[in-house]
Amino acid sequence: MSDIVEEIRQAYGRVGIALDRPATYGTYYRLLCAGCGKMVGNVGDRLLPDMAAALVERQFDLYATGLLGCGCGHQRQVTRGLDAPRWEAAQRRQGGTS
Amino acid sequence: MSEPLPSEMTVIDDAERRGRTDLWPFWRRVYAQGDPLPRFAPPAGRPAHRFDEGDPLPDEYRSLLLKMLRHEGERAGNKSFLGFMATCLDLAEAICPDATSRLVKAEYLAEELKHAIMFHRLAVGLERDFALKDVPYAHYAFHLPRETWADDAFFHFFVDLNGAFHARDWRESSYVPLAKMSATVERDELGHSEMGYYFLQRICEDRRGRALAQHLLGKWYPAALDMFGRSDSSNAPKFIGWGLKSVGNAEIRNAYKTYVDAKLVALGLDVPDERANRRFL
Repeated sequence: MSDIVEEIRQAYGRVGIALDRPATYGTYYRLLCAGCGKMVGNVGDRLLPDMAAALVERQFDLYATGLLGCGCGHQRQVTRGLDAPRWEAAQRRQGGTS
Repeated sequence: MSEPLPSEMTVIDDAERRGRTDLWPFWRRVYAQGDPLPRFAPPAGRPAHRFDEGDPLPDEYRSLLLKMLRHEGERAGNKSFLGFMATCLDLAEAICPDATSRLVKAEYLAEELKHAIMFHRLAVGLERDFALKDVPYAHYAFHLPRETWADDAFFHFFVDLNGAFHARDWRESSYVPLAKMSATVERDELGHSEMGYYFLQRICEDRRGRALAQHLLGKWYPAALDMFGRSDSSNAPKFIGWGLKSVGNAEIRNAYKTYVDAKLVALGLDVPDERANRRFL
């Protein structure tokens, strides 16, 4: 597995999203909800170094408010556990419910 | 007396005609209002090269042309391109908002596969080994995570539009087979971008959707501008000198930025700082 793929796996693992096995000749990977296994997206393996972690970090508010992530709510729960004050602030900014 | 068999292109034209709906193809309404894209004039005094299929090509010319076509990628013999197309269907199945959107996405795929046939023919005429070469997309814009329909919409709005701008430039290409197909590719790619824009319009109709789009714009906008490469690319003058491009990276990026910025403002989105999160200035 390439360093970039491992970076992607770790970045997404932090918010409750698992990287599936490579699909389509090894270039693209499905993103699966680590809670229920549903596909929530995909990603390719040619991101630049440090890009995956930065992208996922910038999307924290979106996972926290349910604008991104699985309908089962797993990423909302995980991000709340990661940083509760930031999670609460995201709810207030987006007008979501906690 | 039996009727003559239709030609290959007649069959494709007929299939495309029967696929038309109020929405598809998205390029129709745009071009009906006039030429949507800027013109790229080649520099005055540039040597007038012109090469057709089968002509002997200077080594540097061949190398630059192959480099350009590797980036383009839409070839039937490029299994990574076909794999990428499969991910589009996979994603649509998982996250598209409704059946109509999914069908529109399938029309997009059909058109990209038409391009794969066209570029395959061009590649076979140029170099048979290249026609079968597997070349995964190298630019990170093709690999950014797509976790929502808005991500997918931004991908099409920005990345397919990049293809339309390059195809516009190919109208002046010194490689005749490329110049011949440029108008079709440009039109189709602009339509794919408009498909993305149509989905963005729907997404931005409500407050939460617009908030999502504004946030994701920070991911896609720098990637879109980065796709044109470095402004000080040492290869750009060679491409221009051989007639494979008319303008440098900075000029085509600026024209593209002017175009997309106006469309983003029309969506009610704030245009990001053009230098934020950029990797290739």
